[in-house]
Amino acid sequence: MAGVWILAEEHREVLELLHVGRGIADGLGTSLSALTLQAREEADECIACGADEVLLLPPLAEDQSLDAYAGVIADEARKEQPRVFLVAGTSRGRDLAARVAARLDAGLCSQCTALEIDDTREGILMKRLIYGGAAVQSLRCTTRPAMATIPPRTFDPAPAREGRTGQVRQLPHPQPSPVRIVERRVRERETRDLADARVVVAVGRGFAAEDDLGLARELAEVLGGEIGCTRPLSEEMHWLPDQACIGLSGVQVKPELYLGIGISGQIQHLTGVRGAKVIAAVNQDENAPIFGAADLGMVGDLYQVLPALVREMRKQS
Amino acid sequence: MPTIVACFKWVIDEAYIRAGPSGEVDLSSVSWKLSDYDRNAIEEAVRLRDEHGGTVIAATVGAPGATKGIKDALSRGPDRACVAADEGFRDLEPSQTAALLAAMVSGPIGAYDLVLCGEGSSDLYAQQVGPRLAEKLGIPCVCFAQKVSLEGRRVIVERRVEEGVEVLEAPLPALVTVLPDINSPRIPGVRDTLMASKKPVETLSAGDLPPVPAARTETVELRTARLERTCERFGAEPAEIVRFVDALRRRNVLT
Repeated sequence: MAGVWILAEEHREVLELLHVGRGIADGLGTSLSALTLQAREEADECIACGADEVLLLPPLAEDQSLDAYAGVIADEARKEQPRVFLVAGTSRGRDLAARVAARLDAGLCSQCTALEIDDTREGILMKRLIYGGAAVQSLRCTTRPAMATIPPRTFDPAPAREGRTGQVRQLPHPQPSPVRIVERRVRERETRDLADARVVVAVGRGFAAEDDLGLARELAEVLGGEIGCTRPLSEEMHWLPDQACIGLSGVQVKPELYLGIGISGQIQHLTGVRGAKVIAAVNQDENAPIFGAADLGMVGDLYQVLPALVREMRKQS
Repeated sequence: MPTIVACFKWVIDEAYIRAGPSGEVDLSSVSWKLSDYDRNAIEEAVRLRDEHGGTVIAATVGAPGATKGIKDALSRGPDRACVAADEGFRDLEPSQTAALLAAMVSGPIGAYDLVLCGEGSSDLYAQQVGPRLAEKLGIPCVCFAQKVSLEGRRVIVERRVEEGVEVLEAPLPALVTVLPDINSPRIPGVRDTLMASKKPVETLSAGDLPPVPAARTETVELRTARLERTCERFGAEPAEIVRFVDALRRRNVLT
């Protein structure tokens, strides 16, 4: 089917892309196909959630990675000529999308944050952030398929609807890739998933020593929140794990409340908190850029402010 | 002894981008820099050379101004540079950059064992040039590396993925894109900069490379990203602490 294609590894991301993909397919008056690694029984759910067709990618050998599918997917796309192809923007998804785009000589909008039907071109108009988050670029692809990677959690999962029908097809087995996986180390979940946290307390260079992070942890506990940080704290100081790093090249968070403590507010970090309902900040430098990007900004020494905030919140709760 | 190509891009420093009166992007006071993540790619290439011997070639394509980046790149340890700068190479999109770099790597550079790129550029951050370049060269590719080592004719890469780390291996020649936490890029000193001006630079013109392929995307609009926030200010005195917590409560973000 030559309409809109979506591809994701994880079930939740399949549903998110089905949601946005269905809207685009309806807008273009075309069909929606889901390329998935899911088992056959998951295909029915894909159909219930909006797919007209499910293309099952055959399971890979233990030592093979997602990139092995690049050839199979590109061959199928040459045959079917999809108009739009959306890929979940996980690490492996971004890698695979770029390779498929190279094979098809297609344009690709990386980490697309919004997309809409482009009335003039029978395609889609896409938005993404550039310059570290300082600017929004709107772009369209000049050739087919118009490709985009979409960060996980950009869209809600598609709801299931009764009575939808669709086809299921199996795609051919890929040639083994010369890139072999020799080991997988699944991370211990040191932090709950920041991306889903209701409250995020983020720490920056304003903290003089690792032991002082206890002040922020206490505040996070009172607020029922999770701890995140700026890149220097995870990457240079190693005070927090990589998955706590918020920003353009880290986690994007969408909490009800983001509270940045001792964070100056570099654009790369702020890009990761754009989706917060309320942004609050504590910093002793009244000229820190974060105050220009915060709803509530408190100018003060975090070492005095944090214990006082904790006391006040305990008093009021 | 491996020949390692480290790709770099000379980019607008986003810290100097201003918003024009109606939200347009004002680039009038920007300066340029070596893309942040490419510093890690160069550093890693130099680290591998220091361990295994061989040669590091810093490579870039871009507008004429990109030649300003050569000295910076070479002051970080590569042995030589290969540069293609031309007015026609301004504002390239990832598919074009990858095509030109592929022509440079397979043509003028010729023999190579490993290509290193940053995970993305600090201006576009499309994260496409690495994998697209690998496809053009027809070589294996591993993205998002936090550790790279060479063992004989293989590259071993620890790649960061959502659920943890995967260790992969690929035969050389291969391409790897590196994360910013793979290393701490050196800050070149005066001596490094002086040494850099003595290193060989191969300068290519547009005529030395195939024509720039047509862009696969077009930018319809570019606007500054506004973070529309209310910017209420508070002091740190006891009364202000109370007012701050009240403000959070009024916004219904406290449980």
